[in-house]
Amino acid sequence: MKNTARIFCMCLAVVMCFSCLCGCGMERAGQDLYIFNGKGESATALAAAAKEFENETGKKVKTFSLGSGTSSIDTLRAEMNSKNMPTIFSIVNIQELKEWEEGGYVLDFNTVGQGKFKDLADAVPENMRLTSDGTNSYGIPYNVEGYGYIVDTRMVDALFGDGASSGFIKDVRTASYEEFQSLVEAVDKYIKEGTASSVTLSGTTYNLRPEKAELAGKLTGVFAVAGADKWTYGDHMINVALNAVFSNPAEAAAATEKQIESLREPMLSYARALDFKTTYAAGKNGPLARGADFINTTTANYDSAVQLFADSKALFIKQGNWAYTNIEKANGDIVETLEFIPVKLPISDAAVTAEGMTADKLNRSISVYVPNYYAINAKATEEQKQTAMDFLVWLNTSETGQKFVVEEMAFIPYNADHQDIELDNSLGESIIRYMESGDVISNPYGGAPVTWTTDVVGLDIMEKYLIKEKWTEEDYKAIADNAINKWKEMAGLK
Amino acid sequence: MDKYYKKWFLPVVTPAAILFFAVIVIPFAAGVLYSFTSWRGTYFAGGGVFESFVGFDNYIAAFKNPRFTNAFFYTVKFTLLAVVVINVVALVLALMVTSVRQGAGVYRTVFFLPNLLGGLALGFIWQFIFQNVFSDILFGANGIVSIPFLTNMLQDSNKALIALVFMVTWQMAGYMMIIYITGLNNIPADLYEAAQIDGAGKLQQFKVITLPMLMPAITIVFFLTLANCFKLLDQNVALTDGNFNTRLLAMQILRTTRDTAPPDYGMAQAQAVIFFVLIAAVTLIQLSVTKRREVELS
Repeated sequence: MKNTARIFCMCLAVVMCFSCLCGCGMERAGQDLYIFNGKGESATALAAAAKEFENETGKKVKTFSLGSGTSSIDTLRAEMNSKNMPTIFSIVNIQELKEWEEGGYVLDFNTVGQGKFKDLADAVPENMRLTSDGTNSYGIPYNVEGYGYIVDTRMVDALFGDGASSGFIKDVRTASYEEFQSLVEAVDKYIKEGTASSVTLSGTTYNLRPEKAELAGKLTGVFAVAGADKWTYGDHMINVALNAVFSNPAEAAAATEKQIESLREPMLSYARALDFKTTYAAGKNGPLARGADFINTTTANYDSAVQLFADSKALFIKQGNWAYTNIEKANGDIVETLEFIPVKLPISDAAVTAEGMTADKLNRSISVYVPNYYAINAKATEEQKQTAMDFLVWLNTSETGQKFVVEEMAFIPYNADHQDIELDNSLGESIIRYMESGDVISNPYGGAPVTWTTDVVGLDIMEKYLIKEKWTEEDYKAIADNAINKWKEMAGLK
Repeated sequence: MDKYYKKWFLPVVTPAAILFFAVIVIPFAAGVLYSFTSWRGTYFAGGGVFESFVGFDNYIAAFKNPRFTNAFFYTVKFTLLAVVVINVVALVLALMVTSVRQGAGVYRTVFFLPNLLGGLALGFIWQFIFQNVFSDILFGANGIVSIPFLTNMLQDSNKALIALVFMVTWQMAGYMMIIYITGLNNIPADLYEAAQIDGAGKLQQFKVITLPMLMPAITIVFFLTLANCFKLLDQNVALTDGNFNTRLLAMQILRTTRDTAPPDYGMAQAQAVIFFVLIAAVTLIQLSVTKRREVELS
């Protein structure tokens, strides 16, 4: 009896140890391609596409994605340390690229021999490439995304009369910052006092309805602002200012001291625009003034801002097409009539130094860029790399592959002829219209030193200024100074 | 009995020892080693382990990093305050619960309950309480009583420190109370009787009987609160996310790899080793000090 117990214990011990040591080693035989996907939103669609690829080619594909909104970088590092490394993995931007480039994990597409994949890689538009020095190329774009002020055209009709929206959207797009400013002030007066005035945008005059329409009566402010979420004014609004100096992330990553210095004027414009914007914020039951409640993480976060906008309490919200599903969840009626208009800055041509950029173009463009890239693991076997290339070619050029990209993932493809594709998404359609007219700016914030946009500049603004009622010229200067000094410091230029 | 232990020692201890070795000792040793290299999470910058050996550079860099030193002093301040407050509150609760005649079980349960909540959930609950209940309903300008100090506590480094203490006290005091109750129940009643006959007042009884006899419990409670407060992470992440200079050490280590590109795992590891040495030193000193004060009834 005692012996059996003893043997049992020993067995248990052995099993335990073996399961410990081998647990992670199972389940890897017979798999030709392992895709690590960093964008949780497309998890199901990518898995379905992989399945289809499996059926067509007989290769076995495994995909892995974390939930949407979660950073997967730590998991990716763990996977890269394991024997079973992913062959395709995703890279967000040039800052993240540094790590994989230094570690020798990314395949430079320039070294790939002639063939379909080489053609695909060469066809990636130059300003969309994932490159650290301008010549190498490490990624195939997932898709493109864009952001600006989202506006509901029905609300525009409710404010300016039925049918006003089509002309309004066109005119506000090309309007100057000053015109935009008077529009905001007029709407604000209309909300608070009911004074119906008129505004001129790009030469056309729009009159506010003398009698408030029902929808317009819901407005509590002009902008829905997520004061507690630093990335909304950190990453995205700063990015517009950065476009005045840098044309793409690679340029920002290689910024010289002189270039950073020339950011001063754009950053001052940014501070002024942010001051103006946050002065006219909408709240739940009335306007929301800057102060402690403005950065309340439970009532002034991204979700509550989206909710305010979806409830027609704000005219504009600065967000991207990724917010589409959130807006839909908050109020399904509103999503079909949304449009983007540009985020404008009070900036002069003298302050715009980026090549080919003017103050006017900056103010009539929205930011459209690649949020994620597929990279190929240089440490994989030749056979694995080949399968990876075949998959990416299939996904981005074949009809079936494109169907998955456009319909299942609901992506705006980076390479498609935009007239051919039908997107079931008003914001996506709006982005395509901007792309067609060429009124798009890039995402240089992806090349700024890591955490500079949110945890340095954004945090500073949140902690010191969003809780402050009035901003002065001194404050604008302090915001710009801090931004520039910290960039220099973090880039090792100081 | 001895024979029994001898015979069963190996089969019973081996699995635990192997596990301990595999998931604690090896990673710990590897971690210490990594802290002397420029480890990037997936590779060593500059080639292999030996090429990327940087000596004490990571340690020097850690102490030069203002974020680390800030977090260091903030953690020390927080721990000092929290340990005192938790202990006093736990002891007072224990004394109260042991002196009531009815419903002691109910009180004990109620005070203990917060301890069942996880750190993140707790942090978010208190975030809501501090931002909305404290700032608007209770202590705001239009609240029940206007106490400006208790409003917007998460928007100032010092006030947030108090807020953190509030929260961990609420969480830990119940658990520590249970330990104190056990300690109090172990004090023989005849000691108090004798003291009473000798004419000792309540305060004197507490000073010369309760406290010395409670020393074993105090040792444990001090150890637990000290170590847990030093290591506090989830609550810190959920409550303030480090905004307004409120990063505690554990969170600082966690975020170090996100602060640079490529990620500086070597420096994060160096911070972790400093962190370990600090906690080990402080708790060992505390244990030996409080142990020396324990009395045993013979």
